[in-house]
Amino acid sequence: MVEPVSQQVLAEIRRIAIEELEWKGAIEPQHDLLLDLQLDSLGLTVLAVGLENRFRVKLSEEDAVDLKTVGDLIRLVEARAAQSAEARP
Amino acid sequence: MHSASEQDTAPFVHAMGRALPPHYASQEQLIAMLRELWATRHFNLERLEELHRAVQVGGRHLALPLEEYPALVTFQQRNDAWIRVATALSEDVVRRALAPAGLRPTDVDHVFFVTVTGIATPSIDARLVNRLGLRDDVKRTPIFGLGCVAGAAGLARAADYLRAFPEHTALVIATELCSLTLQREDLSIPNIIASGLFGDGSACVVLRGARAGQAGPRVVASRSVFYPDTERIMGWDVVDSGFKVVLSAKVPQLVKDHIRGNVDGFLAQHGLKREDVRHWVAHTGGPKVLEAFESALELPTGALGRSWASLREVGNLSSASVLFVLDETLRTAGARPGDWGVVMAMGPGFCAEMVLLRW
Repeated sequence: MVEPVSQQVLAEIRRIAIEELEWKGAIEPQHDLLLDLQLDSLGLTVLAVGLENRFRVKLSEEDAVDLKTVGDLIRLVEARAAQSAEARP
Repeated sequence: MHSASEQDTAPFVHAMGRALPPHYASQEQLIAMLRELWATRHFNLERLEELHRAVQVGGRHLALPLEEYPALVTFQQRNDAWIRVATALSEDVVRRALAPAGLRPTDVDHVFFVTVTGIATPSIDARLVNRLGLRDDVKRTPIFGLGCVAGAAGLARAADYLRAFPEHTALVIATELCSLTLQREDLSIPNIIASGLFGDGSACVVLRGARAGQAGPRVVASRSVFYPDTERIMGWDVVDSGFKVVLSAKVPQLVKDHIRGNVDGFLAQHGLKREDVRHWVAHTGGPKVLEAFESALELPTGALGRSWASLREVGNLSSASVLFVLDETLRTAGARPGDWGVVMAMGPGFCAEMVLLRW
């Protein structure tokens, strides 16, 4: 059975946080990116780049404006990945 | 409050020199070269280009021609190139500092050599004894590991020494070849940012004790500040291929949180307030660090103009940066007798160093 994209994105966020951002706590969709995960501008960039590389999507500054939680980020990546899949011939 | 005796023994910043390697690359040339490398791992290359443009560096002087960097793979290859270029550049910068001041290498009693971008034993200062013809009783203090703070800290330690030996002349040489530490295979975001920000260069300060020669501003006092439990904010992880950068985005926040209290406390010890300081000489850490200095200290517009210009022209030269800005201040600020100046830098530890100057 193929894992839903949302679960794949959450797993990738957890991997990046642990391996690249030295994060040791839990990560759940309801967690706030800034308050709970304590991400600063560099941390957010590392996270964004990691997700772009894994899911072959591009996230912009404008995208970041409405992002508050891990769940918001998952939905954004999911939507972009779907758009990329549609655009592919 | 500074006492009369403190002032009497305060050494002088007698002269300075700057040297840059001859190989220059604009930021766009460097982006074009790195783009291919980034594409081996990263998908959104425009984002990485923006990171390189956001640091507001126009270009960098490099230790080697651009085409020679890909061949540097091992720590030994990088460090051998570092020793060769650092020795030549340091010799050049000392000659540039001494000659216009009418001093000879044999007038030098103590050499403080600071760096964080390569290692050598005998250290570079020892090699300079032979190349420059320094005296055989010259004292040498090589300092490795202070990083960006070492220009200000070297100035402070040399001034400490000259208070004890007021007839002596000391050199502070800061030589940094950041480009030779670049880990091409490290495509992490901190390393990509570092590869956009740091450049190569060398600065030399000639300091003279109060009884050796009285010209230039006096180093009235200095203050070191250590921030506990901040070891992962900045530094190197030493790996098989060399120095892998540790760089946290928390640096500007640390500046915002602490520098105002640090500077105010330091100045108050000498009966001074921020508004008494006419010349601010800040390390060119990057745009966010300079903005943090400006906002935390409520500096007037243009107070850090020389730091911004230096960042744009040559990038962050680690320990040499603050000395480039100090040299520019000495040459162009039109300082008047009685003016106060503050030199400030921060670096791995995490820590800060402040130096109080009086013209």
